[in-house]
Amino acid sequence: MDLLELWAIFGPGVAGAVFGAGWWIWLDAVVCSLVTVPFLHYLPGIFASFAALMFNCVRKEDIDYSPYDEGEWRLKLWLFIAYVVSFVSLAGSAGLLIQDSLDKSAPSVWTGVAGVLQCVFVLISGLVYWTSHPE
Amino acid sequence: MADLPGYLHACLNTGKLASLAILVSGGIVLQILACALYNNWWPMLSVLTYVLLPMPLLFFAGSDDSIFSESDNSWVNFTKFLTGASTVGGIAIPSILKHAGVIGWGAFAMELSSYFVFGMAVICYLWMSGDDDYSIL
Repeated sequence: MDLLELWAIFGPGVAGAVFGAGWWIWLDAVVCSLVTVPFLHYLPGIFASFAALMFNCVRKEDIDYSPYDEGEWRLKLWLFIAYVVSFVSLAGSAGLLIQDSLDKSAPSVWTGVAGVLQCVFVLISGLVYWTSHPE
Repeated sequence: MADLPGYLHACLNTGKLASLAILVSGGIVLQILACALYNNWWPMLSVLTYVLLPMPLLFFAGSDDSIFSESDNSWVNFTKFLTGASTVGGIAIPSILKHAGVIGWGAFAMELSSYFVFGMAVICYLWMSGDDDYSIL
């Protein structure tokens, strides 16, 4: 079998592993932090997971690429909102990393780095799941 | 293997079962050694991931070999996703305990060894399940 079939077989498992790795990295940062991590720092990971869930709710055969008819604009609006949520969560985690590196009383830099890594891994798992399942 | 006699084939299958039992026992021994040698029972949290690992397959997938085939079924893909997410916990829990300073390097190494021995046992079991039982006769 070729690489595409292997990707279709093992891709959802790889997506789950990357998703779990992202959240476990964040849990490591929270556990090893010397100060209490406020709830604001949890939000980028939660929104990244929500965005990954949003664009995997779409069936790929429903996306219409016809240049003539008016396509499924609701579907494209949903995908656009999912993209906006993922981008805002990634930007928010980067902003919190910068804030953690500048402020002395904030959590350490590892908390900010783990937040960025969590968002990146969660969104990568969404992309892996999207590209691997054939439906 | 049609050229082997039937009793030799059955003997080889018994050898496979014995090696699988040795792998599982080795994993359990390493797990308990990681806790008992240092009198620190926090690594027992990894047993939760061993319990969680087969649950998506039990609940969502059927009795076929759907985890090793391409499937259009959303439940099978979700099963694979949950299995992958549960697999990472076996590596993540010892790593977080080591990073937090709760366990040392020795317990961490034994935890990871136990995890990989269990993983090898699961892969051997899935590979053995692929054989049909009627080829012995």
